[in-house]
Amino acid sequence: MVNPILLILIPLGTAFLISTVAGALKNSTKYIAFLALLANVWISISLLPKVLDHPVNVIIAGIKPPVGINLLVGPMGAIFSIIISVAGVLVLLYSFKYIEGESQSKYYTLFLLLITGAQGMILTGDVFNLFVFFEILAISSYILVGYSGDRNGFEAAVKYLILGSVGSVFILVAIALIYQETGTLNMADIAGKFALVASGKKMMILLFFITGMGVEAAIFPLNSWLPDAHSSAPSSISAVLSGFVIEVALVVIIKFVYTIFAMTEVLQYLSLVGVITLLVGEFAAFNQGNIKRVLAYSSIGQIGLILFAMSLNSEAGLSAGMMQIVNHTASKSILFLVAGYMIKRTGSYQFSDYKGIAKKMPVSSFLFVLGVLSLVGVPPFLGFFSKLNIIIAALSSGNVFNTVMVFLILLGTIIESVYFLKIIQIFYIGEPVKEGVKEAPFFAVLPIALFAVVILLGFLVLPEIKDYAGSAAAELFTKIQMAQVF
Amino acid sequence: MRKLLSIVLLAGFIFYFATLTGGLLIPSNSSERSSVGLDILSRTANETGSANAVTSVVVLYRGFDTLGEVTVLFLAALGISVFMKSTSKVRKRTLDQSFILKTGSRLLFPLMFLFGFYIIVHGHITPGGGFPGGVIIATGFFIVLLTSESVEFNKTLMSVLEGLAGLTFIGLGLVGLFGSGNSFLQNFLPLGKFNTVFSAGIIPVIYAVVGIKVAAELSSVVFAMKESK
Amino acid sequence: MNSIITISTVLNTASMGLIILGLFIIFTQKNLIKMVIGLGLADTGVNILLVSTGYIEGNTAPIFSNTSLKISQMVDPVPQALVLTSIVIGFGVSALALALIIRLFEKTGTLDTSKIRGLKW
Repeated sequence: MVNPILLILIPLGTAFLISTVAGALKNSTKYIAFLALLANVWISISLLPKVLDHPVNVIIAGIKPPVGINLLVGPMGAIFSIIISVAGVLVLLYSFKYIEGESQSKYYTLFLLLITGAQGMILTGDVFNLFVFFEILAISSYILVGYSGDRNGFEAAVKYLILGSVGSVFILVAIALIYQETGTLNMADIAGKFALVASGKKMMILLFFITGMGVEAAIFPLNSWLPDAHSSAPSSISAVLSGFVIEVALVVIIKFVYTIFAMTEVLQYLSLVGVITLLVGEFAAFNQGNIKRVLAYSSIGQIGLILFAMSLNSEAGLSAGMMQIVNHTASKSILFLVAGYMIKRTGSYQFSDYKGIAKKMPVSSFLFVLGVLSLVGVPPFLGFFSKLNIIIAALSSGNVFNTVMVFLILLGTIIESVYFLKIIQIFYIGEPVKEGVKEAPFFAVLPIALFAVVILLGFLVLPEIKDYAGSAAAELFTKIQMAQVF
Repeated sequence: MRKLLSIVLLAGFIFYFATLTGGLLIPSNSSERSSVGLDILSRTANETGSANAVTSVVVLYRGFDTLGEVTVLFLAALGISVFMKSTSKVRKRTLDQSFILKTGSRLLFPLMFLFGFYIIVHGHITPGGGFPGGVIIATGFFIVLLTSESVEFNKTLMSVLEGLAGLTFIGLGLVGLFGSGNSFLQNFLPLGKFNTVFSAGIIPVIYAVVGIKVAAELSSVVFAMKESK
Repeated sequence: MNSIITISTVLNTASMGLIILGLFIIFTQKNLIKMVIGLGLADTGVNILLVSTGYIEGNTAPIFSNTSLKISQMVDPVPQALVLTSIVIGFGVSALALALIIRLFEKTGTLDTSKIRGLKW
């Protein structure tokens, strides 16, 4: 078995390597980055079968936890690692042609560091290490949001940076209090000792942590940075941010609530926050004219849905939430990546200018339609099954609150379909207005098509997906991995 | 309307904080302080050979965090270089510095460099280490940069140094991974005699690498800021 | 010492006060530079909170050079290492924020968030 620590070290080392040789190799460094992420994909996939029975515990510096730092990988971590690596390598491929300009190696360095941060966050077993990787992820995303160098990018990056740093302050407060109360920073150890803390302090730590991580996870009301950041970033970065960055933060919150803090009493409130987030996102998306802002608000809505699913306090809910994450990563990436080239070709962000664009960019428009269908939840796409499972999980819990929530989710879905239908209608009906619009290059279409494969064929491997999602859910629900460290 | 909303938000925020801060004054349940740090204190002298317990924590017990921290600095320097691309309007500021300031700074620079170097190398014996030492060296560069315009700054050298230092850190860790211990960042060099410079295995080596990286990064940050003006 | 006002309580309250002050500045001030200052204050507050968790009454620095110093007379070294990392990270973020603000100022000519369309919360 390949050591999971390579999942973090390979992108990190390659980032350093690229910055060292950038002077000599100039723009060919993108191929090195591609190879690194390909290696990541291979390692993360080979890791999954090993963690299904019992979690993998990697000791660092030869010092056993809780004194030392360790990586603790269960099914949830392995699945997420695969999502990050695959989405990363596909978007990287798209970036080959999409990112132009002189110092491209900086972009690829930043991209690799973003992947490093995300992998580190999901694999680590130590709470302060989580914070450090969180900062790596956050800072690389701040820079990448402002990468295009235009005024909107800078504005969005500043807003994101300030709000994100406020989040970091909250997380650090939580960590300081955790250390003060339990004397340890190791997640499994905290899980064992947390029950002994005074309940007022426990709630305080929990709230600080959720608020801090929640900024990055974009739950209401902490998400005012998201519409600007995801719409002003280069489209490849928008895909990555909506695709897995906010999901990683959300999954970390869920992991802490279920296993480390074990305070499931807040789940009721979290599910309410989830549905509010969903409705706010979908309603706001309705009025937008800028295609990337529509997609950004839709991401807010989707993260609300995922939060709702994962707060149902049941294995079924958790596994449905995992499936929804996979669906969102693939579909939203398709949508953002297609939008990227539409914007580039037409020079406009307003989708009202894309009248009849399907005639000039048929493949892209078709893939866009596929992405929308899966996002909204039309059979036989993956999105249908994930949404169905969420609704089943909510209804089967039997309580009235959840039933009302289901009704609101369906309302959100209807709104979603309406505004997306409006957009697709503009693509296909009418004569193209803009000149010089042609199809996106092969390197861009290929990764988008591969994402589409995921959502199309998802239902073919549905039993496997359900299995894996189920074991991830079981890991969180029954705290298997925590018990097996010592 | 907006003012009302912000006042309400502020009030809610203060209330949230007040209730939470009140919780801080609740005395802790654990009367007996047992923590990882105290465990480390009892082990560190024998296990690492480093006299400074904080250094052994930073470099060894939590060395992975330090790797992340070094990466954050790298990111900050990278981000600043991305944003501070020299624009076409280059305004040259001719500072008419006095003779004393110019020569004084030139004299001060080697002293600061030496002092920073001393702090880095003695990180495992006295308080200090790679980070403060690197900052001191960078401050030395900063002083010279501020007072004379004719200083040449090799940007490619700095980014090569940064990348190489990062790779060395990872490389040292990988030796532990693929070598005998099978664990990243394991201490594989001999522990040496306690409380001397050549002790504590890889700790001074890693700290030296960190010091180089910090100095390179901070200098390039300072230079990027100066250049854009 | 059984009184409520121990050194730890003082440090905790002071650091919380700094954090609240810092966050208050960020949320109420319109000038971008003042926001960065507020962020720095909040960061300092958190670092004080973090470092103070390691404090043990009457103990001293955890360095073994003086051989007569026993372990039971030393403070906890782990929070100090954590704060080291946190200070460096905070510095990196502040530097990045200032660079961004400089470029934003060049593009828009103002530091006032109410005038910059995208930055209205």
